[in-house]
Amino acid sequence: MKQLKDLAKQQKRSMYSLSFTAFVIGCMTVLQALLIVSIVTNIFLEEMPFSAVILQLAALLAVFSVRGLCAYIHGKTGIAMASQAKKQFRQALITQYSHNPVQASIKGQSGQKVTLVTDVVDEIDPYFSKYYPQRILSSIVSIILLAAVVWQNWVSAVIMLVTAPLIPVFMIIIGKKTEKKALQHVEKLTVLAGKFLDSLQGLVTLKLFGKVKEEAALIKKSSIDYRTATMDVLKFAFLSSLVLELISMLGTALIALEVGLRLVIYQNISFFPAFFVLAIAPEFYKTLKDVGSAFHAGKGSMAAAEKIIDELEGSHQTIKWGNKMLSDTACPPSMVLNNLSFTYGEDHFSLHGINAEFEPNSQIAIIGPSGAGKTSLLHLLAGIYKPATGEVLVNDEPLFTYDEREWFDKLIYISQDPYIFSGTIKDNILIACPEKKISENELGTVLEKAGLTELIQQLENGINTSIGEAGRGLSGGEKQRIALARAFLKRPSIILFDEPTVGLDLYTESILQKSIAELAQTATIITVAHRLHTIKQADCILYLEKGTLVGKGTHKELLEQTKDYLTMVEEHQGGAAG
Amino acid sequence: MTELRFVIKLMFIERKDMYISIIYGVLAGLSTVAVFADSGYLVSKAALLPPLYILTIFVALLKLFTVIRAFARYAERYYSHRATFTILSNVRTYFFTKLEPLAPSLFQRFRSGDLLARVVGDVESLQNFFLRVYYPPIVMLVVFLTTVLFTAMFSWPVALILLLGLVITGFCIPFIFAIKQRGIQAKIRQLRTELSTDTTEFLYGFLDLKLYQRLSSKEKKLSQTSDVYIEEQEVKGKKEQLNSAVNHWFSLLTSWSVIALGAYLVSAGEVDGVFLAMLVLISLTVFETAAPMTEVPGYFEDTRHAAERLSSIINEAEKQQELKSNGRLTELDGPPEIECKNVHFCFPGEARPTLTDVSLQLPSGSKTAIVGPSGSGKSTLLHLLLKLYPPSSGTIRIQGQDLAHLDEDQLWKNISPVLQGNHFFYGCVRENLRLAGDNISDDKMNEVLSYVKLDHLSVDSVVLEKGANLSGGEKQRLAIARAMLKKGSLLLLDEPTSSVDPITQQRVMNRLFTGAKDNTIVLISHNLTGLEHMDQIIVMDQGRIIESGTYQELMEMRGYFYRMKMIENGIWGQVQ
Repeated sequence: MKQLKDLAKQQKRSMYSLSFTAFVIGCMTVLQALLIVSIVTNIFLEEMPFSAVILQLAALLAVFSVRGLCAYIHGKTGIAMASQAKKQFRQALITQYSHNPVQASIKGQSGQKVTLVTDVVDEIDPYFSKYYPQRILSSIVSIILLAAVVWQNWVSAVIMLVTAPLIPVFMIIIGKKTEKKALQHVEKLTVLAGKFLDSLQGLVTLKLFGKVKEEAALIKKSSIDYRTATMDVLKFAFLSSLVLELISMLGTALIALEVGLRLVIYQNISFFPAFFVLAIAPEFYKTLKDVGSAFHAGKGSMAAAEKIIDELEGSHQTIKWGNKMLSDTACPPSMVLNNLSFTYGEDHFSLHGINAEFEPNSQIAIIGPSGAGKTSLLHLLAGIYKPATGEVLVNDEPLFTYDEREWFDKLIYISQDPYIFSGTIKDNILIACPEKKISENELGTVLEKAGLTELIQQLENGINTSIGEAGRGLSGGEKQRIALARAFLKRPSIILFDEPTVGLDLYTESILQKSIAELAQTATIITVAHRLHTIKQADCILYLEKGTLVGKGTHKELLEQTKDYLTMVEEHQGGAAG
Repeated sequence: MTELRFVIKLMFIERKDMYISIIYGVLAGLSTVAVFADSGYLVSKAALLPPLYILTIFVALLKLFTVIRAFARYAERYYSHRATFTILSNVRTYFFTKLEPLAPSLFQRFRSGDLLARVVGDVESLQNFFLRVYYPPIVMLVVFLTTVLFTAMFSWPVALILLLGLVITGFCIPFIFAIKQRGIQAKIRQLRTELSTDTTEFLYGFLDLKLYQRLSSKEKKLSQTSDVYIEEQEVKGKKEQLNSAVNHWFSLLTSWSVIALGAYLVSAGEVDGVFLAMLVLISLTVFETAAPMTEVPGYFEDTRHAAERLSSIINEAEKQQELKSNGRLTELDGPPEIECKNVHFCFPGEARPTLTDVSLQLPSGSKTAIVGPSGSGKSTLLHLLLKLYPPSSGTIRIQGQDLAHLDEDQLWKNISPVLQGNHFFYGCVRENLRLAGDNISDDKMNEVLSYVKLDHLSVDSVVLEKGANLSGGEKQRLAIARAMLKKGSLLLLDEPTSSVDPITQQRVMNRLFTGAKDNTIVLISHNLTGLEHMDQIIVMDQGRIIESGTYQELMEMRGYFYRMKMIENGIWGQVQ
C-alpha cells in the first residue's frame, strides 16, 4: 500500500502537473461561481441591461473552457502515471523471473505467475489513473473552496468544516463493516459464481449420466442464492453512499437555511455572498464524495500491488558467471562434483554432500526412487541451480568461473517433456544454434538422424508447419525426436538426458537409443536412467536415495557393494517377471 | 441489435424489478434537479424579503427533496442490481439448456478450457446490458424531458437550449466516440492474448530458453509486447478522457448559453428575474444525470459482441437439434456387441488423421484392452464409441444398429464410462456419486467406496471444484466408483488407474472386473501388465490398429506388442 504511494511520488513531474491542474481547477470553480453569481445579481437585483454583463459572460465561457481543459490534462496525467507504474511492475517481475533459476523447477505454479504478470499488473491501473489524481484534486480543491467561502461568509464555512469530516469517518466505519461482510461471504460467493462454469465443464459427464435437466434447476438455484448473498454485501455499500449523500445534502440544506435566515430575518448578509455560498457548497461536498468512490477503485490496486511485492521479495538466487573460456579441444571436459548440496527451502527436499568424478567421454547414470533428487542433481550439473555448498569443477576449475554462453554452447539437456515453442518445426530445431548458418543439406541429415523425415513429408507445409502453443499438438514421441534433432545440430560435448519413463512409440524408442549412442561418441553423457540397459552400460552409476548418494560404481560393483541396489534390482526383476 | 433480442426477451421476465428501478432512478434524478432549483429560487426569493411562511415552505421542500433523493438513489441501486442478478440467472439457465445438445462437439471445437471460460465470460458480461446499457438512457431521458418541460413553463427558449444540449451530450458525442473506439477494444484484446502467450512461453519454456541462451531475447520480446500493450491501453484511456472532457465542455457550454440567454431574457423583461438563479442551477445539475451516458456505447459494444458470439453458438445448437436423429435404441437386453468398420477420423483443421481405417469386433460380454503409445488415437476411438463425435467415414454398430441413428440419451443410459479428466462437481462425495442414480443409499455408496479403496472418504466428504482437493489417483478411483454404481452393461474405461499405485490398481481392477463379469468392457491401458486375462488386446500406433489378439498370441507373434513389453520390462521405477 505504502509502496504505491511512494511510486506515485517518484513521478515528480506528474505529481507537480496533477497539483497544478488541481489548483487551477479549484480556482476556476471559485471564479465560475463568482461570475455566475455576479451575472445573476447584476441582472436580477441591480436590473442592469444585458450589455453590462457581456464581459462577464465572455469571462465565464473562458473559465468553463479552462476548467474543462485542466480536468482533461489532470485525467491524462493519471493515465500516463498508471502506464509508467504498470511498466515498472511488469518489468520487475520479468527480471525477477529471468534471474531466479529456481523458477525452472516450479512448472506447476506457472499458471499463477502468468496471471501475475498479465492481469494482476493491470489491476494496478486504477490506483494511478483514478484514486491518486482524485485524492490530489479533492484535497487541493476542497481547501480552495473552503477558503473562498471563509472569505465570503465565514458562518457557512464553519458548517462545512463541521459536516465535512463526517464523510471520511462514516466511510471508514461502513467500509470496515462491508469488508467484514464481504469476507464472510467470499468463499460462498466464489463457489456460487463458479457454479455455471463448473456445470459447463462437466456437461459431458452430466450428459453421459443423464442428469442435464436436474442441473439446469441447480444453476437457477445457485444463481438466485448468489444474488441473495451479493445483495447482502452490496446493501452495505449502497448504505454507505446513502449516508454520504445524506451528510452532503444535509450540509447543503443547513447552509441554505443559514443564508436564507440571515438574508430575511437578520438581514445581515447580502444576496451575493448568499448565492455564492450556495453555489460552492455542492461542489465542495461532491469533491469529497468523489474521493470515496475513487478509494474503492484504488483498493483493488493495493491488494494487487501487495501480491506483486510479495513475489518480488521472495527468494532471490542469482548466479554470477565468470569469463573463462573452455579449452577448445575435441575432448569433452572432465567434471568433478565436490561435496555438492542443494535445498529448495527449509521444509523442502534437499540434496547433500554429493561427491563424484566424471571422466571425459564417460557415460554416467543417475538412478533412484522418485523424489530422490535426480532431476535436481541434473540441474546443478547444468549450472541452472546454484549449490548451497560445494561446487562443480569443470577441467579442475569451478563451473561458475566460465563464461555462461561458452558453457551452454557445449551442453544440451534433453528432458522427458521437451518444451516446444510456438513457431514452425524448423524454428524449434534451429533454436539450438541460433547464430550458425545451417545449410539445407545439413538440416536434412539432422532430420534423418532424429527420425523426423517421414513425419515432415506427411505434413502439407513440411518443416514450416506451425507447432507448439499456437500450432497443432505433437505426440510425446515426436517431441522427443525434435529434441534429438536439436542435439544433432548442436553436437554438444556434454549431454544431460532425462530418460523417458512411459508412453513412447517403438519407433521413437529405437531412434532414441541409436541417437544417444551416436551422440555419446563425442560427449560425456549424464542420464537420469530408467532403462536397465542404459544402467548396465554406464561407466558409473550414482544411486541416490532421499537426496543422499548411497552407492557409486558400475552395475557390477554396485551389485556387490550396495545392498539397497541389489534389492532394487531384484524387486524390479521380480515385478517384471510377474 | 438483432443479436440482443434474446437478451431483451430474457430481461423482460424481470420487468417488475426493472420498472421499479427505473421509477426510483427517475425520482432520484428529478429530486436532484428539484433540490438545486429550489435552492436557486429560495435564495433569489429571500433577497426580495418575502413573508417568512413562503421561505419556510421552500426550506421544508428543500429538505424533503434532499431526503427523497438519497433514499430514491438507494432504492434504485438496490432494485437495479437485484434485477441484474436475476437476469443473469435467467441468461445462465437459458444458455445451459441451449448449449446442452452441443456438449460433445462443443468440446471437440473448444478443446481448451479457455474457450469454455470465454463462453462463461460472455454470458456474465450480458448482465451489464440492463445495468449499464438499457435503463440509464431511459432514466436520463425521462429526467431530462421533465426538466425541459418544467423550464418551458418559465421560458421556452431556455428549455430549447437544454434540449439541444441533451441531444449533443447524451447522444451525438457518445455515439461519435463509440465509433472511434471500436477498433481499439479489439486491438487491446488481441495484445492481451499476445502478452499472455509470451508470458506463458517465457515461464513454461524457461529451462529450454536458458539452456539455448535465448532467455534474454525472449525477455526483451516480452517487455516489448508489454510496452505495446500498455501504450495501447493508454491510448484508449486518453481517448476516454477526451470523450468525457468534450462531453463535459458541451454541457458547460449549454449551461453558459442558458445563463447568457436567461440574462438577456430577464433584462429584456420577458422572464421574471427571480427565476434566473433557478434556471442557471438547473442547467448546471441536470447534466449530471447524463454522465452515465458516456459509458453506454462502450458497454453496448461489449454486450453486443458477447451476444453475437453467443447467438452464433445458439444457432449452431438449434441446427444440431434439427439434425438430431430421433432413432431409438431397442432396449439393450444384455451386454452389447460392437463392430467398427473402416472407421476414419480427423479433427477439423488438422492435417493428419487421428484414426485411419479402424475395424474391430467386440462380441457381447467380451473384455478388450487397447494399448499403444501416447498420441496413437486410443482415446479418440473410445470417444467415437461413446458417440461424442461422429466418425469422418466408416460405421460403428452397436447390437447391429448404426450408432449414427441412435438416440444418445438411450445409448448413454447403458454405458458406464470412466474417461480421462473425469469431472467432479463442487459439493460432497454423495452428490457426485448420485449422478449414477437418484436412489442409491449411503450404505451402497460406502460399500462401493471401499471396493475402490477410498475408505478414508465418507459420503459427506467435501469435493472441491473439479475435485481439486483429491489426488489424481483418488479422482480416478472415485470415477470408477461412479461407473460401478451406474451399472451400465457396457464399460468404457480410458486409462482408469494410471495414477494409482500398482497394488491398489490390481485390487480395484479385479473388483471392477468381478462386478462386471458379464458386461462388455473396453479398457485403454497405460501399461501392459495384467492384460493376460483379456479376451482381446488391440495394439494401436499412429491411428491404426497394427496388431490384435490375446496376450499369449501377441507375445508369440514377437511383434510390436512383444517389443513394447520388452521395453516395459527394462524400465524401472515407473509409477511410485
